[in-house]
Amino acid sequence: MTNVKISLPRWSDYFYRKGSEFSKFWNEYLTSAKRDILFIVAQGFDPRMCEGMDILSKSGGFGKRDCIVVDFDEGQNTPSRKYEYLIEANKKRLIDIFPEGEKKHRVVPMLSQEGKRIGSRNVANIFNEPKDLENYTDIVVDISAMPKAIFFPLLGSVLYIADALAKQSKKLNIHVIVSENARIDSLINDQGIADYASYLHGFTGNLGTESYSSYPKVWIPILGEKQSRQLERIYGLVIPDEICPILPMPSTNPRRTDDLIVEYRELIFDRWNVNQKNFIYAAEQNPFGVYREIYKTVLHYNESLKPLGGCQVAISALSSKLLSIGALLSAYELKYYGLGVGMAHVETRGYEIERSIDLEIELPNTELFTLWLAGDCYEL
Amino acid sequence: MSTRAPRNPFTLRASELIESDGTFLRLFGPGVLDLLQAEQIWNRVQPIYSAPGGGKTSLFRLFTPACLLTLYDSRATAEEFKDLNRRLKEISAISEDGPSVLGIMISGVGRDADLESLPLDQARKNRLFFSLLNSRIAIATLRSALELKKLTFPDDLHRIFIQRPKVSDFPTSIPIPCTGDVLMEWASDSEKQVCRYIDSFAPSMTDTFIGYDTLYCLYFLQSDCISLDGQPVSPRSLLMIDNIERLTKTQRTILFNALVNLRVPTGVWLAERLEALTPRELFGAEVGREYEKPIVLEEFWRNESTKYEQVIANIADRRAKLNPDIQMGPFQTCLQDSLDSAEWKAKYLKAIETISIRVCDKVRSTKRYEKWITKCEAQDGTLREKAIGWRVLEVKIERDRKKAQKQLVDSPLPEEGLEMKVEASTREAAELLLSREFHLPYYFGFQNLVKLSSSNIEQFLVFASELFEEVISAKLLKQPTALSPYRQESILTRTAQKLWDDIPLASQDGRDVARLLSRMGEMCLTETIKPNAPYAPGVTGIALSMKDRDRLINPHLIQSHPELARLSSVLSSCISHNYLLMHSGVRQGPKGVNTWTVLYLNRWLCLHFGLPFQYGGWRPMKTIELIKYIWSEPQKTDRIGAL
Repeated sequence: MTNVKISLPRWSDYFYRKGSEFSKFWNEYLTSAKRDILFIVAQGFDPRMCEGMDILSKSGGFGKRDCIVVDFDEGQNTPSRKYEYLIEANKKRLIDIFPEGEKKHRVVPMLSQEGKRIGSRNVANIFNEPKDLENYTDIVVDISAMPKAIFFPLLGSVLYIADALAKQSKKLNIHVIVSENARIDSLINDQGIADYASYLHGFTGNLGTESYSSYPKVWIPILGEKQSRQLERIYGLVIPDEICPILPMPSTNPRRTDDLIVEYRELIFDRWNVNQKNFIYAAEQNPFGVYREIYKTVLHYNESLKPLGGCQVAISALSSKLLSIGALLSAYELKYYGLGVGMAHVETRGYEIERSIDLEIELPNTELFTLWLAGDCYEL
Repeated sequence: MSTRAPRNPFTLRASELIESDGTFLRLFGPGVLDLLQAEQIWNRVQPIYSAPGGGKTSLFRLFTPACLLTLYDSRATAEEFKDLNRRLKEISAISEDGPSVLGIMISGVGRDADLESLPLDQARKNRLFFSLLNSRIAIATLRSALELKKLTFPDDLHRIFIQRPKVSDFPTSIPIPCTGDVLMEWASDSEKQVCRYIDSFAPSMTDTFIGYDTLYCLYFLQSDCISLDGQPVSPRSLLMIDNIERLTKTQRTILFNALVNLRVPTGVWLAERLEALTPRELFGAEVGREYEKPIVLEEFWRNESTKYEQVIANIADRRAKLNPDIQMGPFQTCLQDSLDSAEWKAKYLKAIETISIRVCDKVRSTKRYEKWITKCEAQDGTLREKAIGWRVLEVKIERDRKKAQKQLVDSPLPEEGLEMKVEASTREAAELLLSREFHLPYYFGFQNLVKLSSSNIEQFLVFASELFEEVISAKLLKQPTALSPYRQESILTRTAQKLWDDIPLASQDGRDVARLLSRMGEMCLTETIKPNAPYAPGVTGIALSMKDRDRLINPHLIQSHPELARLSSVLSSCISHNYLLMHSGVRQGPKGVNTWTVLYLNRWLCLHFGLPFQYGGWRPMKTIELIKYIWSEPQKTDRIGAL
């Protein structure tokens, strides 16, 4: 497990744009050549669902413009059910954005008949073969309204297919779009979390196997607000020997790190005895920073624990979607080095918007990010 | 992570989260072993159910080689382990020569739901499942065997030898007879292969993996099959599979069927949360299976309440002692448990005055209660007892006045009437009413803390840790560490509020659960605080008739009535998360002709709603009423019974 030759991190050089640069990039990119694009978007109630797509549709260019709408079905009694009107509004907006072009809906059941979480496994089945994507030049995945249990395996399988095509010398550009709005994030609360944590499909590593159970376990949770229940349940799954929490620093709110420490004081210090030296700091708005930090940490622990055979690492993305991408990229890359990195996660039955809040009012403060994960820019 | 002693040892909850075996054993209450009956535990399939935090994993961990060896090795020196050592000897887990059981513990199977949702036919999925389970059991067995013999894993695997079991259909693809390292290689390869298959992004992995159709590895767990340097590793083996609830229903069924059909004379304990049970099993309609009657931990402790209190006291003392900075006696001494001291004098004098004036005003027009009042005025006892006495009198008068048959003659009732009929429950009801009216603490003292836990050890720790936190702070500030009743109640109430706020998040049907419980609490409180206290000491539960219970578990009815399905699911969720405590087969009516399934509120919910902790008071309800509860709007105020 530890005798691995690792070259430079895959995303040591990276490409991402945010804010006003977002539309500038897409305008230049789409008008510079013919692009056949497949958009993948999730059907949710979050008003940010169509923000990125709206700008892309207005950016011009020519080529095919298809869209796959991932409709994640949380069952009859999901708390999100009461936001059907917001879902309908998003549906209408999507039709306005893409009046032409093929739009396919893929319903992903999140729960089995007996209530087990199967969404993460099901979503990876959306694309079964490289041929599903090889007719496009670009895949744009908008994760703004996607739960983590959906976009982790989805992006994992898209990256996997892009890599498989690259081996056949076929190019596929993979982009991720995310609309960040800390205020909206803080107003949407998880409801009805799963009774126990699990590893996301495709990102199990060697965790949970009996063969590796004697290896020390390192857990890297990326901390975000209001996640203590989730943290407890993930801890119960991983039962780590070492914990390295990632805190957002620098962050828009300079006190955010302190606030998070205060929020999780009992868990981190009283119950889990986390050594303060284990804290990792990563910029709040740069997922590649998180990627780099996790990557370094995993390699460092594997090197240090070599005499014991190496280690297993579980990562948990409990913060914003933007930072979660960093976790995904590190887990994806390290998986192929056989370093046993897993993504431990607690799924959610639905969401509730805090009462008397109109999310539309908060929408103008949304900041758009675009990340280019694979394709042309990495071949220069 | 640092290994310093925890500042607040009550925050250490689940056994698997306590790193050191020594610490775990120091915190383990030996009384828990009362669950096991020695003559039956080593050769049967024993399901153990509980809500989360009931103590299943702790029980399993005790029988792992590391814990048994720690106990055995310190039998002569460590006073704190003597009782535990003795109890384990009584059930033949430890002998004079050392541990006499090879405990093999695995936690679930892993990737269970993922495995079940693979695009394969069911037979193939079952074979993958058994392959994974066989390999995990084989690896865990080898690891435990070396651990028991204090050898190094995997370096010493070659010293283990596994005999071929004497069964005709044992598959040749399992390389037995062989040494441990050969078996390890087979099991590890098999496990990795299945896991790769499940976890791969590759869409259509061509695979020649065949798998197994039952739990063959159980066969070689018998003592004559596993030897080390030519000697049997242990007189007996015990396989403990934790977290069975994570299996899908199909996996659970085929696992139980395999265990029953193989009939291997090896102990197999299966721990699962109540949530894994079907509504039929949960409501007790499915019994008489081929394996042993399940042990439901909370039910066991409910029936053994005295033992439970001792176990809890023991656990609390052990935890309190673990903090080296707090030199204290029993944990109970941190919790003041009396309201008879001088500081309460003024409150009780006011209460006596208020109630006595009120009672006299109420009955001014009649001589009927003269003797009762005179007797009450002359009562002995502390001020608290006197105040309760007056409140009892008020309740008795209310009851008497409500009687349909009015006496024609306004003659005073005999004073014995007051004394003879004041049963404990009325006194308890009066105490609750008194505390509500005069803002006196009601939820305090160690005994109430034990009741508050509703037979769930982790629940006890949740509340006790908050109290202990206050004790630590008091110690730091050099203040008395015994918490006043007010302070206790305030801390407990705050903790219950946190748990209440957590319900929508904590369980999958959380919002429905919160609505149902909220309306139940409201109903219970309304019935409890009626002036005549008709169901003294109070109503803390609801009851379903057998007919209604059967409706909830009838698959055809559930399929055709979504609202019934929803209620069934919400009630199951309430029971499995321990929000509702089920007492089945409660008889009532003339000669006990009516049988009820009573669902009591967890005692922390009683605290939240301002209800008493005693059991016994319940109101019958129909499914249609409960369905309305789920559909109703949630309460505006969070805590109905604010004191």
